[in-house]
Amino acid sequence: MSHEVMGYNAAMGLALVEEMRADDSIFVIGQGVATGGWFGAEKGLASEFGTERVIDCGISEAFEAGLAAGAAIAGMKPVVNMGFGDFALIAGDEIYHKLAKWRYMHGLDVPMTAVIIFPIGTMGGAGPEHSSCTEVLGMHFPGLKVVVPSTAEDAKGLMKSALREPNPVLFHSVQGLGWTRGAVPLDPEFTVPIGKAAIRRKGAGLTIITYGSMVSRSLDAAELVAKEGIDCEVIDLRSLVPLDWDCVFGSVRKTHRAMVVHEAFLTAGPGAEIAARIQESIFFDLEAPVMRLGARDFPLTQHADLEALAIPSTAEIAAVARRLATT
Amino acid sequence: MSAPTAPKLSAPMLEGMLYRMAMARTIERLMMRHTREHKFSGWWHPGEGQEAAPIGATAAMGEDDYLWYQGRGSAWALGKGMLPGPILGDLLGKMTGATRGKGGGVPHWSDYSIGVMGEGATLGSVFPLAGGSALASKIRRDGRVSLANFGDGTTARGTFHETLMHAAAWKLPLIYFCENNGLLVGTRLGDVSPTTTIADFASGYHIPGVTVDGQDAVAVYEVTREAIARARAGKGPTLIEAKVVRRRGHYAGDPQTYRDEREFDDYRDPIDLLSARLPGNSSARILEEAEAEVQAAYAAALAAPEPDASVIERDLYYVA
Repeated sequence: MSHEVMGYNAAMGLALVEEMRADDSIFVIGQGVATGGWFGAEKGLASEFGTERVIDCGISEAFEAGLAAGAAIAGMKPVVNMGFGDFALIAGDEIYHKLAKWRYMHGLDVPMTAVIIFPIGTMGGAGPEHSSCTEVLGMHFPGLKVVVPSTAEDAKGLMKSALREPNPVLFHSVQGLGWTRGAVPLDPEFTVPIGKAAIRRKGAGLTIITYGSMVSRSLDAAELVAKEGIDCEVIDLRSLVPLDWDCVFGSVRKTHRAMVVHEAFLTAGPGAEIAARIQESIFFDLEAPVMRLGARDFPLTQHADLEALAIPSTAEIAAVARRLATT
Repeated sequence: MSAPTAPKLSAPMLEGMLYRMAMARTIERLMMRHTREHKFSGWWHPGEGQEAAPIGATAAMGEDDYLWYQGRGSAWALGKGMLPGPILGDLLGKMTGATRGKGGGVPHWSDYSIGVMGEGATLGSVFPLAGGSALASKIRRDGRVSLANFGDGTTARGTFHETLMHAAAWKLPLIYFCENNGLLVGTRLGDVSPTTTIADFASGYHIPGVTVDGQDAVAVYEVTREAIARARAGKGPTLIEAKVVRRRGHYAGDPQTYRDEREFDDYRDPIDLLSARLPGNSSARILEEAEAEVQAAYAAALAAPEPDASVIERDLYYVA
């Protein structure tokens, strides 16, 4: 099947278009989505599907997320672009209680499709309330699925899966990757399954477990240390809920050394859970403690240079890899 | 205004309303007794005296219409057509409950087949959810109306305003139905709100705001019927405010030191008011039959199996 080179956000948009053509119950809502979307994913949607299915909303994240829950319970498939992952906190009750728990607490065995798009991460000085990586929240509250694509191909494939998933999905698009390009399959049946990691680089010396914006930096770091004889395996998790533990444990059993790298804050970030699980589950396969690398625990500044200092660089990832390899 | 879809009240309809109201009252009495005897693990929020609003409003709704309730007691669920079996099953934490054994004192009764969509336990949480089902109906053109039920205290919630603003702009088929008992647990509404008339808020949203005697199920029926007809005709939301009396504490066992018994000097009981509207002396028989049905359901619920440990793993994710 043929491919086309396109941007990460455009690939998400392509998935939306394909699924909206096939399924009348999908609609898109958010601030500015009918006028093209803030980051290009919804470009052209309103002209094809009309403003009854591509709906501009006021500045009202709690309403948007609660509306998604109600519409999903009533059998529609809402897609909400929340603009920024940071805004998850404005709609906390609606996302982490209502979307996550409604079916469970009412004892209902029925499908409930809803996709909440959270653009996350730094983009060169967007500031402390527009740059957060909030994906760990979706891991903490049971009832949601959580994905973070790192390539244009996965952005399309995971969006397709999310729109066909009978459970609410928090879809984290990575701001820093929005305009990166890659070959994307044009087959409308192409999907990337939720809950399957991808091994981006094979290696035998240590395992770097990462996702989102840190995948390419981890791969660059792996090339740097490869010249020094350190052979890294790089896992792109792609989904955080469910998390592909088989892939993680399988790799670490082979390499005996693991480190987790993410753009989210270090303290109580996803890496804390991943490191703890590895140590609980396969402690005796390890030759060294599981290392973690995440954003420094400070709000992100609007000065792009200071912002860059707060999140893991390729050099820092390489440095931790070296330390891990010699521990 | 187009013709209302719900009919004018007939004697059989009034009897049905009284029957459901009496079932709710019987459940009240049973739950108060359970709480006193420490046999109830949840928190019961008594709805005694407030039954007319839910019974009148639900009688005006169609079976397909979506109900998102937040009310006290059990009258919303009973009014919309749920039976006492699953309701008592939840209250007693049995497998026969609507939540299939997860229990409920802040009840999560639901039955999608008759539009009972459920309740959130964070007060005032149903505004945007009801907005969502109303938007679904607008997109699908399915003719259904969504009703968001809430108490006066939750008008302080941001989502009360966020949802109403969009619903009014988009003319969603949404009814905002407030039960105003004037109390936020023990705080007086007037201490935290510039108005104690919730219907006042409607004017800012350019929608009708109607205040109705919430002790009178027939009056509630009439205003709800008109609001639903308006919503179905594509004319958008109505804010209904039923002035009600919270006869008991916020929760069963609440000592209510903040209340004055004289508040109840003019108390009019919804069951008496509705009974007086029935022809002849049919009400005594209806009350008796309703109590018998609830007692039978109660006995069945007591005998029903307790949940096993596997229940906590159920319904977290839907598996196609």
